[in-house]
Amino acid sequence: MRGHRRVEREKEDWQSHTEMAHRLLVRRIWTLSVKDLRCLLASTSSFSTSLRSSTTPLSFLSPKHTLPCSLPHTSRREVSFNVQDHEDFTERVINSALPVLIDFHAQWCGPCKILGPRLEKAVAKQKGKVAMAKVDIDDHTDLAIEYGVSAVPTVIAMRGGDVIDQFVGIKDDEALDSFVSKLVGQ
Amino acid sequence: MAALCRVRHRWKRTNCIQLLTRNLTGTFDYDLVVIGGGSGGLACSKEAAQLGQKVAVLDYVEPSVKGTKWGIGGTCVNVGCIPKKLMHQAALLGTALKDAQKYGWQITGPISHDWSTMAEAVQNHVRSLNWGHRVQLQDKEVKYLNVKGSLLDEHTVKGLTRTGKEIMLTAKNIVIATGGRPKYPTHIPGAVEHGITSDDIFWLKESPGKTLVVGASYVALECAGFLTGIGLETTVMVRSIPLRGFDQQMAGLVTDYMEAYGTKFSWRSVPKSVDKLSSGVLQVTWTEEQTGKDQRDTFDSVLWAVGRAPETKTLGLEKVGVKLNKESGKILVAADESTSVPNIYAFGDIGEGRPELTPTAIKAGKLLARRLAGQTNELMNYDNVATTVFTPLEYGCVGLSEEEAESRHGKDSIEVYHAFYKPLEFTVAERDASQCYIKVVCKRGGDQRILGLHFTGPNAGEVTQGFAMGFQCGATLTHLKETVGIHPTCAEELTKVNVSKRSGLDATVTGC
Repeated sequence: MRGHRRVEREKEDWQSHTEMAHRLLVRRIWTLSVKDLRCLLASTSSFSTSLRSSTTPLSFLSPKHTLPCSLPHTSRREVSFNVQDHEDFTERVINSALPVLIDFHAQWCGPCKILGPRLEKAVAKQKGKVAMAKVDIDDHTDLAIEYGVSAVPTVIAMRGGDVIDQFVGIKDDEALDSFVSKLVGQ
Repeated sequence: MAALCRVRHRWKRTNCIQLLTRNLTGTFDYDLVVIGGGSGGLACSKEAAQLGQKVAVLDYVEPSVKGTKWGIGGTCVNVGCIPKKLMHQAALLGTALKDAQKYGWQITGPISHDWSTMAEAVQNHVRSLNWGHRVQLQDKEVKYLNVKGSLLDEHTVKGLTRTGKEIMLTAKNIVIATGGRPKYPTHIPGAVEHGITSDDIFWLKESPGKTLVVGASYVALECAGFLTGIGLETTVMVRSIPLRGFDQQMAGLVTDYMEAYGTKFSWRSVPKSVDKLSSGVLQVTWTEEQTGKDQRDTFDSVLWAVGRAPETKTLGLEKVGVKLNKESGKILVAADESTSVPNIYAFGDIGEGRPELTPTAIKAGKLLARRLAGQTNELMNYDNVATTVFTPLEYGCVGLSEEEAESRHGKDSIEVYHAFYKPLEFTVAERDASQCYIKVVCKRGGDQRILGLHFTGPNAGEVTQGFAMGFQCGATLTHLKETVGIHPTCAEELTKVNVSKRSGLDATVTGC
């Protein structure tokens, strides 16, 4: 069983990130061995791990869930998008007028393929009040590391460039709706 | 005239002069900079950071000739052990499927293999490992820089980003763990333009098709092995002997099995040229050494597995004074991994005389980090390292080959015990076990200390690992015979060896 610790984020000049004015409140790092670092399959009970520690059993899951690769596109194109690069992230996520859900996922992650469509659904229900940014951690490794992602899927809720909440692993539709509503509501 | 006789001397700025002009405070950016983020480099940097050192690791993958590149983790994770073993497993599963029918499984329809499905799954796993390494480095507070490192002087490293930007780092100690890359036989016309290497095979999105593997190293045989296993027409072209450096009797058993299982071998042949035909296939011309005649055939892919070259050319080693072995190009290292320059160390595949293995690189890296942090004086023990070749019939060994034992001790001073056995699982499957064999090379007389242990059979790696510990502890034949076997296994046959080669008796094991 592994615990996780809160780490005060130091502002540091990472290579090409100097332009990014990120104001991360808390970075949580899960100390896992490489073998444990795969996808997370959460237990069915939701575990919105905002700023508290929680002991979640981490299980190794091989990406055997082969859901259709292409996630359903919502009718509003600007609501859900794939982050292209750091500039794009700054523009469309940090400087977003809307609150944003950042979905950190990976090709090799089975649970990500389950969570993805659920997130899209939850976001669509908000009818344009919240946007969703998708970050493939293999394409944007530095960015993911910077935001303290260690296991995937990790979802970060951001408003005005600040991290409001986040969770790791899968949530069911109800828990997702509640998570998203909280982000929009406040 | 006197004026014309004047000679102007040019004083070359040597490294020691540069040393005086830098860093008045005597502090460096880092305690340790590791160039190379492979098995060795990562282990060393993480251990050092854990011991409180300020560490940076520089990793950069120069794309292969074909343009293949990969993430952090080095050869093992990306283009070596890991994808190799997974593809080997894919091939074994194919054989298992065939065996399954004899065990009662009803398999309707022909069994076929889809390369893309396997490749994607393997590549995805590798990517998850790349990610895992990045998170570990972050977690252990090792600074990771995706730059191509080179030495400016014994305390300064230059890093070049993909976009050409330069960064400078100073370090108290520098470790070089840049490993090696596959060689291309550049003297063969068409080799570079049309051939691929192990850097590319695991990242192909589409099947390599009918493949010619040139070489007889374990890389060549392992690749040819799994390609055959997944149903591709594969030929191995061998210049002289298979598995140079390994016990030759065992090497012969490995290749005999491969031939019996469908891999074609072109013995004593040397490729002459590779041409691409209008249809897109590759036409290879080669010379058969025995007849002197030229042969020709077409292939979809040509895989060069003719050796590996150390990554030292762009490191700036000459300038700084790090000495290399002229023949191999590898860095000359002492028992403590130090080089000819006091604070520069090198280990892993890049070190001259070192085994090209991940576990030795990892262990050596950790010990080096501990020594540099002043925690220990322990040196890496490179003796008694067990290895396994993951060919279709796997071969595991620890210690000396029979030839090496003979050469060191004399034929009369060694006793070789051996046995041909049949894995139980092969019986129902009606598989030929002619090459399943065990050999224990011992000192003759006295306590009959085991000098070398060799095993061909299924799961050779798993079998050999346990015996390697015994070997490390100085096991003798008596120890082996006193060990009760686990039944029914292949490994137990090792505890039952009793026929010596010298006796000339039949070494085939009969039923239990």
